[in-house]
Amino acid sequence: MRALRVIAAGVVCALLALLVWDVAHNSGGKVASDVDKGRIVKAPAFNLPRVTGNGKLSLASLRGKVVVVNFWASDCVPCKDEQAELNKTAAKWADKGVVFLGIDEVEVRSFAQKYLQHYKVPYLSVADADAAIAGKFGVTGTPETFFIDRRGRVVPPHIVSIAKPADLEAGIRRALSA
Amino acid sequence: MRLLLAAAAALALLCAAPALASEQHPTQDELEAMLVCPSCHVPLDESNSPVAQQMKDFIAKRIAQGATRSEIVDELVGPPNNFGPSVLGVPRTHGFDLIAWVIPFAAIAVGAIGIGAGAWYWSRSRGSPPADPGVAPLDPAMERRLDEELAHFDG
Repeated sequence: MRALRVIAAGVVCALLALLVWDVAHNSGGKVASDVDKGRIVKAPAFNLPRVTGNGKLSLASLRGKVVVVNFWASDCVPCKDEQAELNKTAAKWADKGVVFLGIDEVEVRSFAQKYLQHYKVPYLSVADADAAIAGKFGVTGTPETFFIDRRGRVVPPHIVSIAKPADLEAGIRRALSA
Repeated sequence: MRLLLAAAAALALLCAAPALASEQHPTQDELEAMLVCPSCHVPLDESNSPVAQQMKDFIAKRIAQGATRSEIVDELVGPPNNFGPSVLGVPRTHGFDLIAWVIPFAAIAVGAIGIGAGAWYWSRSRGSPPADPGVAPLDPAMERRLDEELAHFDG
């Protein structure tokens, strides 16, 4: 009977440890809320499959460049509304060490590919099919845009909904100067 | 005996045939029932979310192209769509997902063993019941009176 008690206590302790570990490692929503408070925080690492072509792209491979991360989906109307501005701004900053990266949220790949083709998106997109990376960034919908500096840190502003030209410029300049 | 074996084989074939047909020629309905919308987490056939609609279109297209059930499911779980095993209504019966099938039965077995061991321990530790300390012996006068009363009843 004593052995059973020890096993039961062990199981309870293991479950508690698992809960503590999960809470400690789950930074869901923290990046967006920290950046909204004006803080500069480490960008969550990711290595996601490309929407077009093969292979994966990691955020670490873009270290040394300013990365404008735009979360989007093909069924999202505001994403369509802001796409022309994103394309224009991406082209403008392309030779100045600024990279735009789309993160496509929870979609069948062929629909995302059609969107990229239709809107002539000039930059790479990766697929966050299970929204795990969106969760780490604290994204609550699409579109949302983040700015990552050359050292891999997310800097303010964090744009929710349609990105206006002035906000994009401000974010890029802040990331370049960070 | 041979007749019995032949009957068993025929029955097995009879049961396997529909499963094989379903694998080779899946229907839209069965696939929608076995898959879950990755954004709203309800069965695909009950969801009208944008991604559920995309998945339904994908399934219809792949069925028309002659894909098997496993191929379609694998293409949604893994590349190119990579929704992960969370889109499966029930876990698969191979690989890591097999754990989901094994653990409940293992838990039941462990529970049964635990209950059995507990019952065995309890029955052994009980032994013979101790004498009731609350009952004091009768004094001789009372005992004599009780005997008389009983004899009166017997008589």
